[in-house]
Parts: sequence; C-alpha cells; structure tokens
Amino acid sequence: MVDAILAVLQRPSFLTFVILFLWGFYIMVTRYNLVKKLIGMYLVQTSVIFFLVSISVKKGATVPVLLSTTDPVIAASYANPLPHVLTLTAIVVGVATTGVGLALCAAIYQKYGSLDEQEILERLE
Amino acid sequence: MSHQLPAILFLLPLFAAISMPVVCLKHRQWSYSISVAVLAAMVLVSILNLHNVIHHGEIRYVFSGWTAPLGIEWVADGLASVILVLVSVLGLLGVVFTGSTSPKDLGGRIIHYYTLILLLVSALTGIVFAGDLFNLFVFLEVAAISSYALIGVAGGRALFAAFRYLILGTLGASLYLLGVSYLYAVTGTLNMSDMVDKLPFLLSSKAVVGGLIFMFIGLGIKMALVPFHSWLPDAYTHAPESISPILASLVTKVAILAWIRIIYWVFNASIVINDIPILLLVSVLGTLAAVIGGGLALAQGNLKRLFAYGGISHIGIILIGISQGNQTGFAGGVFYLLNDAVMQAGLFFLAGMAFYQYGIRTIDDLGRLGKHSPWLTGSLIVMALGMIGLPPTGGFFGKWYIILGALEAGNYVSVAAVLLSTLLTLAYFVKLFEALFRQPATQLNVQSGDIPFSFKLTLGITSAAIIILGLFSAPIVQLLLDHAMPPGL
Repeated sequence: MVDAILAVLQRPSFLTFVILFLWGFYIMVTRYNLVKKLIGMYLVQTSVIFFLVSISVKKGATVPVLLSTTDPVIAASYANPLPHVLTLTAIVVGVATTGVGLALCAAIYQKYGSLDEQEILERLE
Repeated sequence: MSHQLPAILFLLPLFAAISMPVVCLKHRQWSYSISVAVLAAMVLVSILNLHNVIHHGEIRYVFSGWTAPLGIEWVADGLASVILVLVSVLGLLGVVFTGSTSPKDLGGRIIHYYTLILLLVSALTGIVFAGDLFNLFVFLEVAAISSYALIGVAGGRALFAAFRYLILGTLGASLYLLGVSYLYAVTGTLNMSDMVDKLPFLLSSKAVVGGLIFMFIGLGIKMALVPFHSWLPDAYTHAPESISPILASLVTKVAILAWIRIIYWVFNASIVINDIPILLLVSVLGTLAAVIGGGLALAQGNLKRLFAYGGISHIGIILIGISQGNQTGFAGGVFYLLNDAVMQAGLFFLAGMAFYQYGIRTIDDLGRLGKHSPWLTGSLIVMALGMIGLPPTGGFFGKWYIILGALEAGNYVSVAAVLLSTLLTLAYFVKLFEALFRQPATQLNVQSGDIPFSFKLTLGITSAAIIILGLFSAPIVQLLLDHAMPPGL
C-alpha cells in the first residue's frame, strides 16, 4: 500500500491528471446547474489534454526543426511534434463541443427560465 | 482515378455542406435539392467504390504523399466499402424523407439544417475510412456535434435531451481519447496497421489494458450499449421526426464499426481469440444489451421510444455476432448490422409518418385511429417481420448466421440470448398489433389528406430493402466472407 502511494507520488503529472479528471467527473455527476455540468465536462476534456502533453515531455529537447542539414540527426535532441498537434486538435474539438453546449443552455434558459436540472424536469412533467 | 474514390466520397458532402450557406443565401429552397443531388451522387460513387474494391483489392489512401505510419492513412477495404454504401443510401433516404417534414418554424435556418445533415454524413464517411485512431476520434466528434445540434434544432423537450446526450457523449469521447493516448504512449504510433505489428509484444503492459478499457467504455457510450444507453431513448424520441431515422440507423452502427476495427484490426484476430478475453467481454455485454433492451422496450407506450429500445437490443445482437471469433459469426454480425440499420430507418420513418399524417405518438392512439392507411399497416407488418426475424426477411438470415457462429464456437449462452431477444421483440410487436387491430371504444377523429409521395417512397424502399436483403442474403454474406473478413480470422 505504502509502495503504491510512493509510486504514485513519483509521477506528479499523472496524479494531477487523475485529480483533474475525477474532479470534473464529480462536478458533472453531482451538480444540478447545467452550466456547472458543462464546466465539469470541460475539466474532463482538459485533463485528458493535460495527460497528452505530460506524456510527451522530453527534457533537453528543442523544437522539431533540423539544427543543421549536414550533421547526422539525433532524435533525442528534438521534441516529438505529434502529441502537440493532437493536443491542438483536441482543444479545437473541446471548444466546439462547449460552444454547442452553451448554445443549448441558452436555448433551454429561454424556454424554461431556469438552468436547474430539477426545476426543468419538474416543468417537463 | 479510382484510387481517389475514398477522398471524393468524403469531399462530396463536406464541400456541399460548407458551400451551402453561400449558395443558398438567396434561394432557401435550393438547399433541399442540393442535398438530394449530392447524396445521390454519393450513392453512385460509393457503389462504384465497392465494385472497385471487390475487383482490385483494398485502397490505402495516403494524404499529401506522406505514407503511413508517418502520414494519415485511410483504408477502403471491403468492410468499409459495404458500410459506406449503407451510409450513403440511408443518408439519401433520410434527406428525401426530410423534404416534406422538415420543421416548418425553422425559416432561414433550414439552410443550416441541411448543412448539418451533410456534415454528419461526411463525418460518418470519415469514421468508416479512418486508418488511424486519432482520426477516428476527430470524426466521431464531428458526427457527435452535428447530432447534438440536429436533435436540439426543433427546440422544446429536445433541447434538454440534446444537452444530456452532449454531456454523456463528450464524456465518452474524452475516455476514448484517453485510451488512444495510453496506446500512443506505449506504442508510439497511431496508425492501426502499424500498431497491429507492435501490440503483440506489449500485451503484458498495464497501459495497453487500461487504454483498451477506456476506449471501449468511450465507444460504448457512443453506441448506447446497455449500461450507458440512458441518453438514447430521450434523444431519439424528442428529436425532430425527420432526424431520428438518420441518427438511429447510422450513428450507433458506425460506432460499432469503430469497435470492430479496434478489436480485429488494431489487435489481430489470433491475439483476440487466444490471448486476451476481450471477445468474452463483448459477448457478455452484447447478451445483456439484447435481453435488457428488449425487456425495456416491452414497457414503452410511445412509438419512437419503443423503436429506440428495440434498436438498443439489436445492438446487443450485432455484438454477439461479431464476438464469436469465427467467420460465420462475424459475417452474420455485419450482415445483421446492415439489416438493423435499414429496419431502424424504416421504423422511424413510420413513426414520423404516423405523427405528421395523423398526429399520433403512442401505441394506444395508433389503435384508436379509425381508418388505416395501407401504407402504414403494410410497412409496419414487413418491418415487424424483419425485427422479429421471420423468413424471408434479412433479419432472419442475420440471426441465423449469428446463431450458427455461436454454435460453432460452442457458446450456448449467446444462442439463448438471441432467441430470448427474438421472443421479446415478438412480444412488443404483438402488443403493437393488438392495439392496431382491436376495435376501440373511442375513435380518434383525424383529418388527413393524401400521404405525400416522399413518405410512400421512403417507406416503400425500406420495406422492400428488408425483403430484398433476405432474398439475396446468400450472395451478400458470401461477399462479406470473401472481402470483409478481418486479417487472420
């Protein structure tokens, strides 16, 4: 048990990811306010993006542009651009989803005059 | 030219979707004609593509000259081409049906409505062809975002259903992305055909197992597998009548295709059968979905909700088919997927027509309808035969091959589950017909005009397709066995 905890503490970025993810999930499940649910959803998305960035960290590496065309290429001195590109795409997807979610929230508020899930469900009955 | 077909298939609806707000700025009514023309062209190209793939083998489409694993790759193999014909045909039928039913109060937004439908079809094309896991995620999200907007387009109760779908769907997508990043961290590649070479040596890694589980839960939410199905009935019931057929027949089925790809193409068949118990998991989940979905359907009074739960149980039957780990079961599962997509489209066309023509939404109202339209009753009978699985419909042959596959694998629980789910389907259709044919005390007084041509056309084609898929089941299954089998199965 102690070993497991110590092993987790060795990976602070992974621990941060787990906390962020569960925090977002908790907000999504427990809050009745629709905008708060969206905030939780965004936290979940961001935690996954954080995870993608954290696994691509490379100490002492530089941007992936060749320093010289004549020297042999040493892969260890360049950062891998792929996870960063994935991250950018995932951010765009997240922004689009949040936009649609907020638009739905606005329409729900206009229709029912409330953003509280319980109140809306009462009005639906 | 022929190797460009996958890109053409994707770009046709995408370009039409992007250019529609400009082209139709002055002439709103053009948006319908353009959508029908583009999707009809897509049907022709997809059939051409299928023909081409059968005769010349699979196409690996490479973007801007960067070959895999460095570049992005699309794979148009037999399975993808068959599913794509289905996507384009049902997309076209859905838009034709939409023509006379599109929500009247949309006004100028009707252009955006068709834009979203075309965007949905192009995203589904992307999912079908995607050769790497991250591309799959992006197209899943494009498809999902278009579906959220399309469900909420009519306002009212649909808004809340769409919001719930959005929250759950995004959670699913995040879990899928998390799974992909686990697998990427272990293998260093995203390309499916590159990953299949690397994974056999990494099976002891916990990250592979964790990634796989996250991806499965994520896609499970997208396909409305039973513990995660709660978003589907609400979303499909309250969605506009013209949208439910497209969503019900295509979105969940394409998520199943993504699952099939991950099981059999990212992990190869021999690993899946011998080394990891993933097929057992899929088969258990499929069994649960088939039985619980059928049981819940029995309790529904609303037509669209009944059909939505029916769809949930049939997702289970498809999964039982593909999880048998032999060719017969796999071909049966894919064949049943084709049938189920057609039947779901037909059933939701029927529910849409019942609402637009007679204003009825529940089974009881259907019974109180005094005079029946032969179109309504006739197509309902054909679709019921297909859903229950009586010969000569395609539903019968799909279940037949699935049961043969399960017997071959010695998996008797699966056989029992298919049979039990068939009985439950029979039970809820008996309930439906009992309501339809009894003589009620009170009759609804509905004034209905002639049935519009587009209703007759879509109902006629789907009903005929259910029978035709049954009559030609042998050549279709043979085609699947010859060209759509995963490597090594």
